[in-house]
Amino acid sequence: MDFLLNPYYLQIIMFIIINAILGISIYLTMATGQLSLGNAGFMSIGAYVSALLTLKAGVPLYVAVPVGGAAACLMAAVIGIPTTRLRGIYLAIATLGFGEVVRVVILNLTITNGALGLSGIPSMSVMLSKVFTAMGLAAGIGGMSVRQLGNISVIFILAIILGFLVFFALRLSTSRLGRAFAAIKADEHAAEVSGIDTRYYKLLAFFMGAFVAGIAGGLAAHITFYIGPKDFAYHRAVEILLFAVLGGSDVVWGPLLGSLILTLLPEVLRFATEYREMIYGGILVIMMAFRPQGLISEDTLGFWQKKLMSKSEASTQGEISRRTTR
Amino acid sequence: MFWQQMVNGITLGSTYALIALGYTLIFGVLNIVNMAHGEIFMFGAFVGLILATKFNIGIFGALLGAMVAGAVLGYLMERLALRPLRRRKVSELAPLISTIGVSIFLESLALRLFGPQAQSFPGVYSTQLFEIGGLKISAVQILILAISFGLMLVLRFWLSKTQLGKSIRATAENIETANLLGVDTQKIIVLTVMLASALGGGAGVLVGLAFNAIEPTMGITMGFKGLAVLILGGLGNITGAMVGGLLLGVAEVFSVAYGVSSYRDAVAFGLIIVLLFLRPQGLFGSQEQQGGR
Amino acid sequence: MVRISKNMRKNWVVCSLIVVMMIILGGCGSSEKPANQGGTSAGGTAKLGVVSYLTGAGAAYGESIRHGLELSRDEINSKGKVKLELIFEDSKGEKNEAINAVNKLIHKDDVLSILGPTLSGEMFAVGPIVNQEGVPIMGTSLTVEGITEIGDYVFRNSLPEFAAIPQSIKKAKEKFNLKKVAVMYSDNNDLGVSGFKIFQKSLKEQGIEIIAIETFADKNTDFSAQLTKIATLNPDAVVVAGLYQEGALILKKAREIGITVPIIGNNGFNSPQLIKSAGSAADGAIVASPWYPGKDDVKVKEFIAAYKAKYNKEPDQFAAQAYDALQIMAIAIEKSGSTTDRKKLRDTLATIKDYSGVTGKFSFDEKRNPAMDVTVLVVKDGQFTELK
Repeated sequence: MDFLLNPYYLQIIMFIIINAILGISIYLTMATGQLSLGNAGFMSIGAYVSALLTLKAGVPLYVAVPVGGAAACLMAAVIGIPTTRLRGIYLAIATLGFGEVVRVVILNLTITNGALGLSGIPSMSVMLSKVFTAMGLAAGIGGMSVRQLGNISVIFILAIILGFLVFFALRLSTSRLGRAFAAIKADEHAAEVSGIDTRYYKLLAFFMGAFVAGIAGGLAAHITFYIGPKDFAYHRAVEILLFAVLGGSDVVWGPLLGSLILTLLPEVLRFATEYREMIYGGILVIMMAFRPQGLISEDTLGFWQKKLMSKSEASTQGEISRRTTR
Repeated sequence: MFWQQMVNGITLGSTYALIALGYTLIFGVLNIVNMAHGEIFMFGAFVGLILATKFNIGIFGALLGAMVAGAVLGYLMERLALRPLRRRKVSELAPLISTIGVSIFLESLALRLFGPQAQSFPGVYSTQLFEIGGLKISAVQILILAISFGLMLVLRFWLSKTQLGKSIRATAENIETANLLGVDTQKIIVLTVMLASALGGGAGVLVGLAFNAIEPTMGITMGFKGLAVLILGGLGNITGAMVGGLLLGVAEVFSVAYGVSSYRDAVAFGLIIVLLFLRPQGLFGSQEQQGGR
Repeated sequence: MVRISKNMRKNWVVCSLIVVMMIILGGCGSSEKPANQGGTSAGGTAKLGVVSYLTGAGAAYGESIRHGLELSRDEINSKGKVKLELIFEDSKGEKNEAINAVNKLIHKDDVLSILGPTLSGEMFAVGPIVNQEGVPIMGTSLTVEGITEIGDYVFRNSLPEFAAIPQSIKKAKEKFNLKKVAVMYSDNNDLGVSGFKIFQKSLKEQGIEIIAIETFADKNTDFSAQLTKIATLNPDAVVVAGLYQEGALILKKAREIGITVPIIGNNGFNSPQLIKSAGSAADGAIVASPWYPGKDDVKVKEFIAAYKAKYNKEPDQFAAQAYDALQIMAIAIEKSGSTTDRKKLRDTLATIKDYSGVTGKFSFDEKRNPAMDVTVLVVKDGQFTELK
């Protein structure tokens, strides 16, 4: 238990959840077959807006984060209406370019403090620790210090948000909206011919992705004390794409697994010091050679479902036979 | 000042064009954005540097060596990172990620091999200055301009007139059909990747000469600009890469000269966003690939 | 056939999943060490963590820091008063990586204190965490404002820009009678931006007019547009805030297009690499710094000789500051008499006074910033010499 409560691991779990939320944001846009690399840009808008609100205007966190998401969404409207006309690699690079433009604007604004970034952003775990202390739990409970308690509550809150988003994404795939998305992904022309307003749905998916990325940005800003324009550069955009491609973008579990692996991998590889990046790059190449559709695809889910079912059948049968022999 | 800035812009632009040529060749044939092109470019620069400083062979020897090194890297990349993907039908994302993997690998390898310090070619090559009517132009600037235009013309001629060039174009048009028509597409693909990478390696030496800063992360910055040019000029279009590169170079320099230098890095992508709205296929892209694959 | 390939594919899924799981479990498993409070270990060796920018765009700076620290560690250990063990973690210059690195160092390796990180952005992210945990942390390369304000456990031994820059401007004005200058700075680098702000302020105080402000970005290689523009304005000097890699290229280009006036740099200019890369173009570059390689001091000479012997190159100020940082740390550990008590170490560190290191005489002021003497240097014939 001590091992699990280590703040190092708690912090990594927080990063995993934030990245998983980003994974969902790219999954949402990719559900319509759109390859958007703008999520890092939307994330930065969410992060800066919410951080500025809490830092300068003293707005409570639970208001600031959704406002950040909304701001990202608003930006998505400005950029999305023209860009969603584009397809494939054109869209990818136009959105990547959007991210760059956002970064340069942030560097130039005074309110964002340019390259120096925003420091001293109120941290969620510190806030919660204070609440716990105020509640008279300064000594902590059950061997947990108040800081660990704060961290765990943050993870709990993040997990609830993630859980809600996963639930939403799962429901989406079986809903009318989700079927329209899938139809567009499979064949945009066919979808259009069969009466689906492809532009509307693509834009909607773009908005949803931007909103979720904005939320993730707001949350990320409030678990790390500091944000700077560097955090949302090209690397971030590619990293988010990697979650979806490595894990698989067919089902929502794919980006989730992708974000889990890609957040853990650099930490696990710390022992390799100088060779860490090389191994990381090598793993990407190997993964793509063997699982180009991502680790989890619809086939995989079906396969495991069958396997699990047959296993549980076998075990129930075993149970029955044991009972009968008795 | 206007004309001097024009010269600056064209020099910068021709380096962008050089890099974009490699991108566009590979994209034209394979429909892949080779994210590792910038790193191959960087390796070329280092190989050229080592040849020039340690073995003291002239600048053209270094250029040749860098191109060979680029071609070898290109071959390895094709063999290890692209071919396994081609054997099965996969989405266009897989090779994108695979080449990103290669780029990360190469960058950290270069860091191990060559160290992080920025290095430069010995001064003899870059200090000759010509003054023409009040304009200062260095020998390297002229060299780069000449080589990139030369390469563009050679490439165009080669692709349209020679047997091999025709095979490349047939493969670019449609791999299956080319295969049926008896083109060894496997060989053509390997050749294209090697050619593009050799160009990248050579570009590394030229850019290293022009800007005096060879270091492991130079690939990312330049590669990024090359990517922008790829889209600006129209995917897979050689003239487009050339004109797009020059345009971007001049636009960047003029944004500094007559605008605000702090927005310089937004120029490339600002141009792209504007262009894509007006002409989704790029400056020279053909109508049929409008805004998509 | 189809069946087989499908099965094979499934096998791959299973295999790759298993491999990934194993890697992850392996990584976690090996880490199960009891986490107790206070750093520590057998035989009185003090474990110190280092977070540095070892790979990525800033690796050149991280490498110098690492070399300086390693040299310092070997010397301290050979003297035998205290034994130090350094654990290096790479931050790649990214704040999340830096956060993970300090958390690992504190909670897994259980270090006594931390040196680094390299960038001030990283410090703003990790400082509050480390401070909360009560672990002393010392920045060796941080020069922007507001670092030690993070908390009582945050130190730095690198001289902040606001202490160095005004001196170089003042000296340069006296010497070259500056009236109007052009300013360039790296706008995507925190050091460049903060340097620029301080330049702006001290130029104003000295009554010098700024006739142009141009920006560039780290890793830019083409400065012809900015410099061509500046050249037409005929400034008395060009002021540059950035790091030496870009600084060297700016010097080279400026001299090439005929700008011969002095070029005043910030802290980032102080490196032999600046001269090595820019060659004769570096002549006339001015920088204010406590680190002066040409100083007539045994300690400095010995340090340079040892560094050259070990790494076959000249140390820069990043290396020198890192070297001194560890020496200061070692003195504090020795004085505090404990290799596990973090609080005691912090309190002892705060009282360090009049230590004479390779970067000169050193004391911590009450805000845990260094108080040291600054020398204004000018490059002359390929050497840093004192500007008199």
